[in-house]
Amino acid sequence: MTFPPAFLGELERIVGARGVVSSPEGRLTYEADMHTFHKGIPDVVVLPETAEQVALIVRACRREHVAVVPRGSGTGLIGGAMAPHGGVMIGMNRMNRILELDLANRCATVQPGLINLSLSQATREHGYYFAPDPSSQMVSSIGGNCSTNAGGPHCLKYGITVNHVLGLQVVTGAGELVWLGNKVQDRPGYDLTGVFVGGEGTLGLVTAAIVRLMHVPEAVKTMLASFATLDDASETVSAIIAAGIIPSALELIDDFFVRAIEEGIGAGYPKGAGAVLLIELDGPRAEVEAQAARIVPICRDHAALEIRIAQDEAERALLWKGRKEAAGVVGRLASSWFLQDAVVPRSRLPQIMREMQAISARHGLQIANVFHAGDGNLHPIILYDDRAPGEVDRAKALNEELLQACLALGGSVTGEHGVGLDKNQSLPLQFAAADLNFMARLRRVFDPDGIMNPGKLLPSHPACGEGFRPGPSRIPAGAWV
Amino acid sequence: MTGEPRLGAFDLKDAPSMDGLRACVHCGICLPQCPTYRVLGEEMDSPRGRIYLMRAAAEGRMDLTATMARHLDLCLGCRACESACPSGVPFGHLLEATRAQLASRGVHGTGTDRTTLNLALQWFPYPRRLAPMMRALYAYQRSGLQALVRSLGFLASFRTLRNMEALLPRLPAGNGVPELTPAQGKRRGRAGLLTGCVQRFVYPEVNRDTARLLSAAGYDVVTPREQECCGALHLHAGQLTEFRQMATKFMAAWESDLDVIVVNAAGCGSALKEYGHWLDDGAGSFSSKVRDISEVLLEADLPLGSLGETVTYHDACHLAHGQKIRSEPRQLLKRIPGLVLVELPDSDLCCGSAGVYNLLEPGIADELGRRKVERIRATGARIVVAGNPGCLMQISRHCRAQGLEIEVAHPVSLLARVLGR
Amino acid sequence: MAVSSPALREAFAEIVGSGDVLDAPDVLDAHRVDGLRPRWIARPGTVDEVSRLMALAHVERLAVLPRGSGSALALGNPPKRLDIVVDLRRLDAVTDYVPADMVASVEAGISLGTLARQLGEHGQMLALDPPGGSSRSIGGILATNASGPLRFRYGTARDLTLGVRFVQADGTVTWGGARVVKSVTGYDVPKLLVGSFGTLGIIVGATLRLHPKPPARGSWLLAWNAREAAQSFIAALIASSLEPDRVIALNEEAGRAYGCADKKLALLVSIGSVTEAVSSQGEAMSGLARAHGAEVRSVPDSCWEQLDAILAGDVSFRLNSEPRRTVHWLGEVERLASGLDLRVLAVAQPGSGVMHAVVSDQISGTVLDQGLFRPLRAGLAPEGGSLVVERAAADLKENFDVWGPISPDSQAIMSRLKAEFDLDGTLSPGRFVGGL
Repeated sequence: MTFPPAFLGELERIVGARGVVSSPEGRLTYEADMHTFHKGIPDVVVLPETAEQVALIVRACRREHVAVVPRGSGTGLIGGAMAPHGGVMIGMNRMNRILELDLANRCATVQPGLINLSLSQATREHGYYFAPDPSSQMVSSIGGNCSTNAGGPHCLKYGITVNHVLGLQVVTGAGELVWLGNKVQDRPGYDLTGVFVGGEGTLGLVTAAIVRLMHVPEAVKTMLASFATLDDASETVSAIIAAGIIPSALELIDDFFVRAIEEGIGAGYPKGAGAVLLIELDGPRAEVEAQAARIVPICRDHAALEIRIAQDEAERALLWKGRKEAAGVVGRLASSWFLQDAVVPRSRLPQIMREMQAISARHGLQIANVFHAGDGNLHPIILYDDRAPGEVDRAKALNEELLQACLALGGSVTGEHGVGLDKNQSLPLQFAAADLNFMARLRRVFDPDGIMNPGKLLPSHPACGEGFRPGPSRIPAGAWV
Repeated sequence: MTGEPRLGAFDLKDAPSMDGLRACVHCGICLPQCPTYRVLGEEMDSPRGRIYLMRAAAEGRMDLTATMARHLDLCLGCRACESACPSGVPFGHLLEATRAQLASRGVHGTGTDRTTLNLALQWFPYPRRLAPMMRALYAYQRSGLQALVRSLGFLASFRTLRNMEALLPRLPAGNGVPELTPAQGKRRGRAGLLTGCVQRFVYPEVNRDTARLLSAAGYDVVTPREQECCGALHLHAGQLTEFRQMATKFMAAWESDLDVIVVNAAGCGSALKEYGHWLDDGAGSFSSKVRDISEVLLEADLPLGSLGETVTYHDACHLAHGQKIRSEPRQLLKRIPGLVLVELPDSDLCCGSAGVYNLLEPGIADELGRRKVERIRATGARIVVAGNPGCLMQISRHCRAQGLEIEVAHPVSLLARVLGR
Repeated sequence: MAVSSPALREAFAEIVGSGDVLDAPDVLDAHRVDGLRPRWIARPGTVDEVSRLMALAHVERLAVLPRGSGSALALGNPPKRLDIVVDLRRLDAVTDYVPADMVASVEAGISLGTLARQLGEHGQMLALDPPGGSSRSIGGILATNASGPLRFRYGTARDLTLGVRFVQADGTVTWGGARVVKSVTGYDVPKLLVGSFGTLGIIVGATLRLHPKPPARGSWLLAWNAREAAQSFIAALIASSLEPDRVIALNEEAGRAYGCADKKLALLVSIGSVTEAVSSQGEAMSGLARAHGAEVRSVPDSCWEQLDAILAGDVSFRLNSEPRRTVHWLGEVERLASGLDLRVLAVAQPGSGVMHAVVSDQISGTVLDQGLFRPLRAGLAPEGGSLVVERAAADLKENFDVWGPISPDSQAIMSRLKAEFDLDGTLSPGRFVGGL
């Protein structure tokens, strides 16, 4: 432990002894989020319970010029919630309550550590739910969702997290504890709330959020269509969107995953299909029926083998369980894997899937796919064995080539997982120096001394160096053992 | 220790499985299901964190330390994480293997109450030692001394003693089950019946009811006097050598021609079904005969009279998570005419009993017990049932503490009550 | 000023061409902004020209005001300084449109109406319908975050703008956001530029999210004699699973324009979907409305276009409140207005809490301020609401605060943003909240 005892003592006075994790063993467990490829042990972890505590911690860190790394449930996929430069990790999971449900205004005020699904579970009996549904929603936190501007299958129709945030109470990197926005949807001035969402902890921390609630739709229809080939399935996706139908979710799952999901979870997916589409429609009953009636022939036109419609809530839940827990069954497919998150314009989906198969063959590694086909957001998972010599490097090369292919088709380097540490060196592929410089200066407005999650989101690249001064870490990263 | 083949900081023999550790993809889906994560809210007291520590040790990044041991000691061993895990990480086995290695090295968790643990390990699994203590306790209760002691709070300063005392229900008079209970009606087979170490003293009527129900289901019920402890307590505490000895002895107490070995205590059933993982020589075939009473009775068609009550069902961890038995007890209860079964929210969240955990970690156990009773209260049920003696004691105690007047019973007790009416 | 006016004019002409630099006195008079007369008007034809204009203006410390159709030029404080108006309307191309993606990229000067026609050919639309919007430029709509009733279902410009190309105060051409519907790459810069009133950069292009045009639409006019009954219907409608795409409440004055004589409150509702869903939902909604005491009649879609005319007036202000308080504030506006013997026409959106109100009578600025704006703001402040005066003659504006107070915390951060990106006050200086 290389922090001065006085500083540790200050932290302990702010959050109490219960709120400080300082043992090497404890800190080790915080060295990574779900993207364990990136590891960085914090010098100390604090677990506050109030917004005021968070503000005091950040101010102390700013004064001592110590890095601050926010963390929710630690389920991110971009190395966002780990501490490559050591510092103080602030875990928000103990601030996990619903503070207020305001159904008349269709909104809820919640603490950032509240688990996403818990909010919908609490509001469903009143006929409302929180629409952003990342696959991690049974464990990811609202604060984390705000931080990465999380998506999920239903964002195809309903938008991503930022479209559902009315206001945020935040602690900025400058140490200010402020409310940005409130229940009133419009206000004069810049959209500070909108800018803060997706900030990946580099602008500050969320200490409370006012989020929009949606009314549970009148009808929901969930369909599973299976196809012999990935090509047929991706052509079907494009055809559905081109027909002017926006399903509430449109997910593609390939044969690797169908096998693994059936083994691990048993969701009733048809074994042996080359690809399946999980299609969900929701809204007024007549609208849902009409859209379903149009989708079935579109699937048939693209050689669908079987089209199954969930008959009740239990069947629907099981179909979704397979999709939502797919990330977890990856362990059954291979010992190691890269999960990529990229986007192409949806009209280019069939093309990128074909290119992906060619790239995969060229590098001699398998790619498994489960993703949000409806908005062109791919999640190719490159499978490899880290114990086989040379495979890590081939996997990395494949990863790079895949990303380039997506960009060449007019896509984006990340659809919904965010940038974090994982993609920050890729940002220059998508943005010019002037654009990155603008973002660096935007960051400085909220975090003048560069203490918030340093090394994340923006590349530490000379091109964006103007104005962005990465704070020198007072304490070097403490690798121990 | 030097010269022995290693797996990082572990001895290779009986090390936690590296494949098992590597199956964890760090997704965190286990976190909200973990009782200690819910109560403590820190990563190292979550399954994901505990696996991370075990894996770090197996990869040689970390030694086996007292702090690590402490975090593993805080684990209830409820295996809710296994139910949640999409990757199939065998957390229970990893935990037990790691605890065994810590124990054999003499690495003990900082702050763990080893005195109480050792006391429990020396007394509870040995009916011969436990019997005289139970007789004394029976006398203590009947004499009115218990009421006096409780009202005056004499045990307040003896924490463990106080806890044990509080958990103990009113001990019944009367004996256990005869060695042979013949089948009634058409004979279906021969069933062995486990009497359990604590259950045979504290809830002997559950064993009698179980035998009666099995007999009505057409089984000759064999209840060997020689059976002692299944070894679960020692297994969970990482005492592998003692566990294997007890398991071998236990298996020897049963005839080889039994069709099924019936268990009405979830913790025991779970341990027995996993003998094949820890022992060779026929342990696997022994395990394959083990059934929970709910599995067996579901196959029969017992004549049941009506019971017009609202009942809620608590999933004992070692039934729901350890044996994947959830629907069988519920289906059985629904067969009782007039019975209204209300689902208990968080029914499979540990009540805090977890073997002797509630004696070792009363703070956490009390919090879990309190939360469990809150949930039970909210259902409005008049009876709560659970298929494990530890759960029954823990839930009873906390219902009392919270002033909730409710019957706490084993499902077989309800079934037996209305059998044949 | 180091450089002379004629030299500057020549420099501008070199960038955009002499024909696109206007400085005839009568033309400049016609382009006054809140009474201030610009020295030049420049009409760039490419993004590069905009960039070079800005670079020059920045170096010469000139004050620049961007404009599109000019419909919203009266919005904001009078400019502190005004040297050159940059008219974006020559940048009016659709630069990329792939109907199968439901995404379109446009230059900022294209009008909403022109774009709508092109999208309509493919059965698609940009779901923005601000009052008077058809003739407005996309850049102007985005810069002012203008919205209309369609936001009930589709959200605002902030939700529909995927990417934005803009020119910074010093002329740097910058891109923020993405060209696809799903991207979280870097900060959400479009959120910053949309609604920034040309104070952080000049929007020169945007990538927009489109929606399919509903195959069918139905509209209904519901009218009540008592506001309370209307309020309870609105609550019931919002709590139901009916999915209208537009819901607006008309006060008595506005209702008159729709032929609702002496009705305390009227609602105009539209439902867009497949024909079967329009009729089944329409029936359900009408039934619900009647159960709450409304007179219901079906009206043509063209009713919505009438709003443009209804909301044209000399003085226009906008009230932002919690959605559930919409009817209350409609009542408050009417109460205060009648106390001043003033006719106020108000159209509010219960789904978003946004109200547009128009005053056509002659009235002094002081009376407006003391009798209407101040009391309303005082009542709104504890609820987190606000009132913004969107249109008023320059001399009226001197009597009141156009923007109203905003929280000091937010103001501090906004000031830092302005200082970071336009320290010299090149872009629309003084027009925005807090005098930014």
